[in-house]
Amino acid sequence: MLAEIGFASTSLSLIAALYAIGAALIGGRIHSDRLILSARNAAIATFPLLLIACGMLLIALITEQYQINYVRNTTDPSTPMFYRVTALWGAQRGSLLFWSLTMSIFTAAALLISWKNDRRLMPYVIAYMMAALAFFLYLNLFVENPFERVWLQPNGPNDNAVVDSVLIPPNASAPAADLLAADASGLNPLLRHFGMIIHPPMLYLGFVGFLIPFAFAMAALASGDLSTNWIKATRRWTLVAWLFLSLGLILGGRWAYDVLGWGGYWGWDPVENAAFLPWLVGTAYLHSVLIQEKRGMLKVWNMFLIVGTFSAVIFGTFATRSGLIESVHSFAESEIGTPMFLFWGSITFVSVAMVVWRWRQGLLQDEHHFTGWLSRESMFVLNNVIFVALTLAIFWGSFGAPILSELYLEEDITLGVDYFMRVTPPLFLVMYILMGVAPITAWGATSINRMGRSLLVPLAATILTVIAIVATGTTTPVAVVGYAAVAMAGYVALFEIYRGTAARVRARNENPLQALVALFTRNRRRYGGYIVHLGIVVIGLGVIGSTVFQVERQETVDVGDVIQVNDEYQLRYDNFVVQQATDGRFIDRAYVTIIRNGEEIRQLEPRIDRFVQSDNTLMPMTIAGAHSTIENDFYVLLGGAGDGEVGYNRATFTIYINPLVNLVWWGGLILILGTFISAWPNETRSATARARTTATPKMGKRAGAMT
Amino acid sequence: MTQTNSNTSWEKPRNKNFEKLTKQSGGRWKFLVGGVLLLGAIGYLVASSTMMGAQFFITVDEIVNDSAYLGEEVRISGAVIGDTIEQNTVFVSERQRNAITFTITHIPEEFDNLAEALNQSVSDPNSTRLDVYYEGPMPDLLQHEAQAILTGKLGDDGVFYATELLLKCPSRFEGEGSNQQLGEEHPGMAQINAG
Repeated sequence: MLAEIGFASTSLSLIAALYAIGAALIGGRIHSDRLILSARNAAIATFPLLLIACGMLLIALITEQYQINYVRNTTDPSTPMFYRVTALWGAQRGSLLFWSLTMSIFTAAALLISWKNDRRLMPYVIAYMMAALAFFLYLNLFVENPFERVWLQPNGPNDNAVVDSVLIPPNASAPAADLLAADASGLNPLLRHFGMIIHPPMLYLGFVGFLIPFAFAMAALASGDLSTNWIKATRRWTLVAWLFLSLGLILGGRWAYDVLGWGGYWGWDPVENAAFLPWLVGTAYLHSVLIQEKRGMLKVWNMFLIVGTFSAVIFGTFATRSGLIESVHSFAESEIGTPMFLFWGSITFVSVAMVVWRWRQGLLQDEHHFTGWLSRESMFVLNNVIFVALTLAIFWGSFGAPILSELYLEEDITLGVDYFMRVTPPLFLVMYILMGVAPITAWGATSINRMGRSLLVPLAATILTVIAIVATGTTTPVAVVGYAAVAMAGYVALFEIYRGTAARVRARNENPLQALVALFTRNRRRYGGYIVHLGIVVIGLGVIGSTVFQVERQETVDVGDVIQVNDEYQLRYDNFVVQQATDGRFIDRAYVTIIRNGEEIRQLEPRIDRFVQSDNTLMPMTIAGAHSTIENDFYVLLGGAGDGEVGYNRATFTIYINPLVNLVWWGGLILILGTFISAWPNETRSATARARTTATPKMGKRAGAMT
Repeated sequence: MTQTNSNTSWEKPRNKNFEKLTKQSGGRWKFLVGGVLLLGAIGYLVASSTMMGAQFFITVDEIVNDSAYLGEEVRISGAVIGDTIEQNTVFVSERQRNAITFTITHIPEEFDNLAEALNQSVSDPNSTRLDVYYEGPMPDLLQHEAQAILTGKLGDDGVFYATELLLKCPSRFEGEGSNQQLGEEHPGMAQINAG
């Protein structure tokens, strides 16, 4: 029954989406408000319908309906309740349905919120959003159906008489419940981690969220309303999508760091990169679109950026889920490769063609020209060039070179971590330098003199910082240069916040705290942006420290032995035990003590959990022991104790000392805070909105509302 | 007074326009040259990094039969023969390390089913074999008929010295009557980076 309801409900939402496309386009053409309204309602209806479908799958997972293949493949009778719920997005089929649900949430919300303000764009917005949703629903129904069940059909066409089908085939019966339960395989233990539970939904929300600015941009092109309306309508949506995508990436890194046991958080794996690409283009877009809003420039470029962002989202989804690239990361090879590729190709082609069409009509003409190098516009353009260069370089390394070599060369070539570690640092360095310079340039042009004055304090602070860094013994040139650029960007952001506050204190006699709060509430977008910059600065410090100064040591020792990790640290191997936990897993546990300069500072218990699988094999999961401080992480992995020649008393340990790695996570939190400030609806109107209020009273109100 | 005024009003716009024009076209050149330099630098960076970071992904057949790969860093993929897996303690610069040796067999570049390809490769006595040496803890997925994806160099002694070992065991996670392979769904499943 659950499968039937879920299937029917998904089918209905596909019908609703298709109807919405047709009604919206026809309604737009014949100017029928009734028809457009009906299209909107159909589009919104996909949300409750998909909620029901996901609800049915969830109930099936919770109530152990093992006849449904998806339930049998992601859970087993021993799976705890929490992981039954999260299994909803634990594997390909469920996660695709979940993806459709998130898409319908976003589209319903966007349609409801922007309905009144942007009527002219709406028919096309609906058509674009629903076309994307319809494609994913097609996958849900015809390619990767999560409601598919297994049936026994004695007189069926197959020899083994086992049939996969959503609906009951003729003369078929369900297999016995105990057989199905015995055949069930639980969630991969590696995925049982907090980061892993919320990392995929965050990433999906980020990916799917970019559909909204994309659909509005395409609607602007289709309708010919190429004013800044579509940008204003979508800027908060873009920030929301960007926030979720950032969160997804950071949580993925945290999960990798905690669970995968290679001492790092970013491995330049093609699938990681696939999720990073839309972030990079999206970040370029977030900045560049400001120029269009303020100066009416870069209209064509912004169109290409938003097309690029959404295209990267779909490409990433395709690359991750189709088995395109040899990656331990990817979903198993599946049949969605071809349809996803066609969808990606056609959506990119059509969008680019639309941009070119309006461009040649002269509707995307810039209203201003560049006047000088030292203007905010030029800095933003440079920032864009860097982000796009990063995107292309990472795309080339992860997909371009491997695919081209496979197609056209005799040998397959892959570009390893070395490539990324060589190509990205110079670009990131320029990015941080621009982050330090751009905020103090003015729109139009800035004189070197004026800029120098604003730079004086941050520059002095940076020089002092560099002296302090070198004096405390960090002399590696790469790191010093990196720290300097990153620190400078941070000081500029802090100094700008200080200057704004000080100006208010002077001009309005507010106390500093009042002034600071007022500064942020009056201009959330700008100062929230500075907080985001600070977050990126803190992440940068963490990345430099943990990359350049990581210490790695691997050694096999007996109980009682001491490993000399570096001049400062030692690790003593105290004891080893094998235990069995109440849930049946076996635990190999080593007791070790960290010694720093002769002093015992902490005992750790690195361990290997071995989960008993349904086929009685053991699925191991290595859990690191970590001593975490703001200065560094001391991270120990137990490997291979008790096997073969290496007896129970001997164990191999891999030790990492990761300086400043915790700043990566702290920076992530600051970034989230900053994005929240930027995206929060304005209660108090900004200066520009106020200026507009004096001209046309209604406009100001609109700009202040959540658009 | 009037004359001066009319003079300025006549002169000013002309000058302004003239200035604006030259500034704009001069500015355009500056932007163009700057842009070309910038793109050139980025292009050079990508190209040189590609040359440095390129790894050939080859088969066991190719590395064994073509001496051009001797001493070059390459990536190879092969099927693990379970009986050959051995573990020893070795001394590397006065530290004890765990060393693993095993043999892999050739698997073709393209196949329909990974589990079948691995099984065929291991059972075929004529398939090309290659001995592998790797230092590090024993990976749990290193077992019979696992697919090993190795990065490293072939030594003069005919042994492949791997610095990175990635393992996949397709048969292990495959549910009956399904095309889901849960075990392969997520990052770095069995990735082990050696020091």
